Amino acid sequence: MELNAQLAPFVKATIKNLKDMLGFEVNTGGMEPETDEFTSQGYTVLIGFTGGWKGRLILDMPRETAMKMASAMTGEPYSSAGDEEVLLSGAELGNIIGGNAITEINNSQPGLQIRLTPPSVFTGMGMTMFNARVNSSSLLIKTDVGPVKVNVAVEGAQ
Amino acid sequence: MRGIKADGTAITVMAVDDSPVSRKMIKKALEPEGFQVIAEAGNGKQAVDMYASVKADVITMDVTMPVMDGLDAASAIKAINPGQPIIMLSAMGDEDIINDARRRGINDICSKPFKPDEIIEKILRIV
Repeated sequence: MELNAQLAPFVKATIKNLKDMLGFEVNTGGMEPETDEFTSQGYTVLIGFTGGWKGRLILDMPRETAMKMASAMTGEPYSSAGDEEVLLSGAELGNIIGGNAITEINNSQPGLQIRLTPPSVFTGMGMTMFNARVNSSSLLIKTDVGPVKVNVAVEGAQ
Repeated sequence: MRGIKADGTAITVMAVDDSPVSRKMIKKALEPEGFQVIAEAGNGKQAVDMYASVKADVITMDVTMPVMDGLDAASAIKAINPGQPIIMLSAMGDEDIINDARRRGINDICSKPFKPDEIIEKILRIV
């Protein structure tokens, strides 16, 4: 499957980190073009980027997946997605995935100088986010601890 | 136990990162091998302030942090002690950031996510 140029580096970085850092089994689902709304599965990491590209990355997953992800990072068990360490783990995962993807983009297109903004993490079932003035693309990555959706929106992208 | 020196003492580490989870991952990677994380700082300024009283064999330094970033903190610490080993530990590895880190005297660079063996080998090479 061919990914669009904006989504591809983020998907690649997400798969690499889910496999190498967290040790999850992964395979990719279909790409879903999205227009103006995005509905959360329960746990959402949002990290913006600015510079030559302006936009944002969302990593979205069920709360149970987020707890297992945090456990893989810290070695601790968690019983709530609202636990501070689960929230901090999501922020760090977003930072690493975003950083790896932006590094690839910056090195392949010198001069873009894209930088990340601090991550935010939200929990809540069925939360809907509205994207003003920007279209986004998503890819669902299936892991052995649940689905992780990667959603990227870049201003000016088709 | 690769974190133990020939004299039987532990190789000591200051972990500088604004993410407590990242600092926990550094400890999880190093402490089973005998390294001792003797100090933690959540931003570059804290690290520089702490450096006046805490000397570690090596400093792991994140780049993007609030208040003072890791590159400026590394410069400030190298101005106090040019021989202080510092490893940059960051998810951002653009060539311009790496070149800037080298210019500031940062001894080695480890990209996140890191494998325990990778960071241990880098520490052992510079300590």
